[in-house]
Amino acid sequence: MRQTLLILLALLTIGEALWAQKVPVQELILDNGFRLLMVPRRGDPNVAAGWIARVGSVNERPGITGISHLFEHMMFKGTHVIGTQNIAENLKLIARMDKVRAELRHEEQALMTKQRLGEVSDIKDPKVRSARHNERLAEMERLNKREKDLTVKDEFDRIYTHAGGSGMNAGTAEDFTVYFINVPANKLELWFWMESDRLLNPVFREFYAERDVVHEERRMRTDSTPTGKFEEMFNAMFWESSPYAWPVVGWPSDLEGITRDEALDYFAVNYAPNNLSACLVGDFEPARAVELARRYFGRLPRGAREPEPVRTQEMKQLAQKRMIAYAETKPTVVIRYHTVPEGHKDAYSLDLLADLLNGQTGRLYKSLILQQEVANSASAQQVDQKYEGYFSITGVAKPGHTPEEVEQALYKEIEKLQKELVGPRELQKVKNQNAAGDFRRLQSNFSLMVQLLVREAYRGWQTINTGPTLRQAVTAEDIKRVATQYFSAENRTVGLYYTKQTNAGEEEPGLAGLDDTEKQHARQLRAAIGHMKIDQVKAMLGQIEQQAAAAPVDKQKLVGVIKKLLTERLRQLEGGK
Amino acid sequence: MAKSRVFLFLLVLILMGSDPRNSAALWAQMKGVADGKAKAATPVIQNGIPAHPKDLAYAPLHFVPPKREIYRHVLSNGVVAYLVEDHDLPLVNLSLIVRAGRYLAPVGKEGLAALTGSQIRAGGTATKTAEVFDEAADFLAAQISASVGDTQGGAALNCLSKDIDEGLKLFFDMLKNPGFQADRLALAKSQILQEMERRNDETPGIESREWNRLMQGEQHFSTKPSTKASIDSITRADLQAFHKAYFHPGNFIFAVSGDFKTTEMKRKLETFLQGWEIGKTPVPEIPKPTATPVPGVYAVHKVDVNQGRVTLGHIGSMRDNPDAYALTMMNDILGGGGFTSRITSRVRSDEGLAYDAGSAFGLGVYYPGVFRASFQSKSPTCAQAIDIVLQEINRIRTEKVSPAELETAINNAIEIFPRYFSSAAKIAGTFAADEFTARPAGYWDTYRDKIKAVTAEEVLRVAQKYLQPDKLAILIVGHLDDIMKGNPDKPQHAIARLSKDGRIQRIPLPDPLTMVYPKAP
Repeated sequence: MRQTLLILLALLTIGEALWAQKVPVQELILDNGFRLLMVPRRGDPNVAAGWIARVGSVNERPGITGISHLFEHMMFKGTHVIGTQNIAENLKLIARMDKVRAELRHEEQALMTKQRLGEVSDIKDPKVRSARHNERLAEMERLNKREKDLTVKDEFDRIYTHAGGSGMNAGTAEDFTVYFINVPANKLELWFWMESDRLLNPVFREFYAERDVVHEERRMRTDSTPTGKFEEMFNAMFWESSPYAWPVVGWPSDLEGITRDEALDYFAVNYAPNNLSACLVGDFEPARAVELARRYFGRLPRGAREPEPVRTQEMKQLAQKRMIAYAETKPTVVIRYHTVPEGHKDAYSLDLLADLLNGQTGRLYKSLILQQEVANSASAQQVDQKYEGYFSITGVAKPGHTPEEVEQALYKEIEKLQKELVGPRELQKVKNQNAAGDFRRLQSNFSLMVQLLVREAYRGWQTINTGPTLRQAVTAEDIKRVATQYFSAENRTVGLYYTKQTNAGEEEPGLAGLDDTEKQHARQLRAAIGHMKIDQVKAMLGQIEQQAAAAPVDKQKLVGVIKKLLTERLRQLEGGK
Repeated sequence: MAKSRVFLFLLVLILMGSDPRNSAALWAQMKGVADGKAKAATPVIQNGIPAHPKDLAYAPLHFVPPKREIYRHVLSNGVVAYLVEDHDLPLVNLSLIVRAGRYLAPVGKEGLAALTGSQIRAGGTATKTAEVFDEAADFLAAQISASVGDTQGGAALNCLSKDIDEGLKLFFDMLKNPGFQADRLALAKSQILQEMERRNDETPGIESREWNRLMQGEQHFSTKPSTKASIDSITRADLQAFHKAYFHPGNFIFAVSGDFKTTEMKRKLETFLQGWEIGKTPVPEIPKPTATPVPGVYAVHKVDVNQGRVTLGHIGSMRDNPDAYALTMMNDILGGGGFTSRITSRVRSDEGLAYDAGSAFGLGVYYPGVFRASFQSKSPTCAQAIDIVLQEINRIRTEKVSPAELETAINNAIEIFPRYFSSAAKIAGTFAADEFTARPAGYWDTYRDKIKAVTAEEVLRVAQKYLQPDKLAILIVGHLDDIMKGNPDKPQHAIARLSKDGRIQRIPLPDPLTMVYPKAP
């Protein structure tokens, strides 16, 4: 087991500056541009294995948003060898399906035109479909069934599962798409076989059915959570011109429309070996891995053209933006500033600045939570992305306080960072935490493998060794400077969440005709009068009746509702006597 | 058309290849595929690459699980500690199991156990204010925590090995002399009450709360919710009493891994535990649920969501049941084994009705676990997905599973076995948990043999014995109007058909602060 083994990570002398630790990565670059990173570490007989494509939602464009993520799903659907009983027949079917899908698209577009003209309200309603549309749908269902009959169901998964692969999954982000698994040490060649095969000969089976799964994923993560839709909207509002504006999962209308041709174009450029890096961490011999990599990944042809960097840059923000949302959540404020992308020299200072704000002994906890008692939680983060970065601060108001009060308290903390130099002990504290964190994140082979790959998607794995040094070099002056440079009023976007009362969907009696804010007032009042004694209710009702006439016309409805609530409560209290 | 596109794509790939051998290899590969399919007996190997992964040969892999006794140490006061050295990184990872749990809180003080756990960490110590303690821990970059869960309490320390003495000093000061500072307790209560108000916001939370109530009944400790009244009633003295009763060495099991010498760590633990009296009161047994779940269709209505969350299930079994191995394989095939399992394959990949779909067969340590199949699907297709899950539950009870399915499940269980011991922390943690739950010695030594011995007949037998379609409760959380309407294209699937009398029992949302449920409409 581990404790009997050699110390594999060199330069581990205690007493030397702790952040001097280096991860010893062996690197192989094939002629076709494919890169393999290797960190042999003997533990249990297992290898954490993965690869990354340097492509994500930031590389998309309107019309195909969500294609990177859809692609991640498609990569598990098999190849010319895996997943079919008859590839020739399968390809014929796929051709036919694409044709029917194009015809269906035509029908859908006709319906969308009608929808724009107000002739159709719900284009998903079966009643609005033409006879031809229904015919095509029926044919699609028949083709799906035939494809299913030809398919060797989930063969890709089955082969890995049978061989003891574990934790197989993939993930898509703004800047990358990553595929990973743990394989038993003696199954290393299987990994090379399976991964190079799906890069060489993929077949995007169930191309049209799988987007239903993606829609369900979107419903689960975004639509059916109290804040998911608002977070998506906030992000879209924050980015003006940058492609970071759209969600990784894509806009639903784009998901519906993506064609197999678009997917093939995307694959040819972005999944070419010159845009990929793989990584192995665990129990293996590097010489054998090099031989396998040459044999298996060496057969992938280099892409015809290099993927282009993202062209559209974010426009400079000139005025503050605000979003006000009513959601089933705690009263919360989110503040975002445009800052710098991953690797920018200021990113390290912003990282440490966030650390100064966070944690049990961080400034936000001490000030907003313990001293001012205006918030119940608060945190900050510098988010590094490849082309653009941002700094985010969040605070949850303590009951009895508003998100605006928390917002103002957060600005005071920012002001302090802009005006005063942070003390040496406080700065040393966050540097100590970073130094310990640099070791902690090396504890798991799997996590190290993913970290190295993600760094490959940015500037290369080497930053795992250079980053800690740069972070330790940050000075109090750096912190003050970046706080002043980036945290200005016109550079921020603010989201305020007010609590919308949970309801079971039964009609809320009496609140019809009120707008969201008024409903909110009425609900708060209803909750408050629930605790009132009979005399208080009577007194309040008296006041309302006196003032009702003086209320503005557009508030009369609210006044009426309040009167009704009070009257009902009074009746209830009197009846209870 | 698309066929030509695919070939065009292949052609492009070939033309792009800078090395002409690439294209040759590609075509050979393509040809090899066809040949391989035709003549399965002789593996086709081109350029050292077999046509199909089944033709790959693997070296045998021998793995012997570590022995518990090697790492087990009994300290001078009788406390057990599992010590596993690992010098790869300059870190020490200490994790302590404490015999305590939520079930020990007095009636009316629901929430006391968790609050005691969090405040042991947050409230300072007898000699250090919370601020001073936190500052010291953070400057040391030491991660220190404490908690009390349903049936187990715990505390942990992770620090650089050079700081171990200072880290242990803070850790044991916290463990032995928690200060329970009043302002930190007030803050924690305020946070808890704020969370409590939001109990009905998110459908996953509603689903798991109502599912537990359906399975364990309302009287069992595991479903007794804290309320505003119970939290308000908890005092500093309550925390002190709870801590004193259960946080003492008689209830401790240590799991320590990382960069230390075993003899030294043993001595350090003994020093810090010295003079700490072992409590006299025995920890009461964990109560078993007394209620029997009532089969039927239950539903919670929630607006503003377009996806329903559905759970189907009934009571499962115990961990020490000799059928546990067959049950695990049965569930793997039914819905526990990821994409290759039947429920996932049919609901997700065949029909595209869910992102997440699967099942779990619960094997409880203290009382029977719960069998549950679950998924989330857009409102109109919930009924269709339920029908598929029901079909699969019936199928595994009536037909023997195929040899291929069983082989995949068994082989996977055996191949992933070393993962239970993949790090020093896992070895220490697994053995400490085994000791805490009194798992029989030798469990891991025979595990793979017992899994290997499971047959298709046995899977059928346990499916028939432990899966009981007539006992299923079905819980639906979502927009009920839309879910009941179903899919106009597939009217054969309907929620109303699921119960014999067509009755759906509506569960209203309770008042989140009192947990009083209004009368169902």
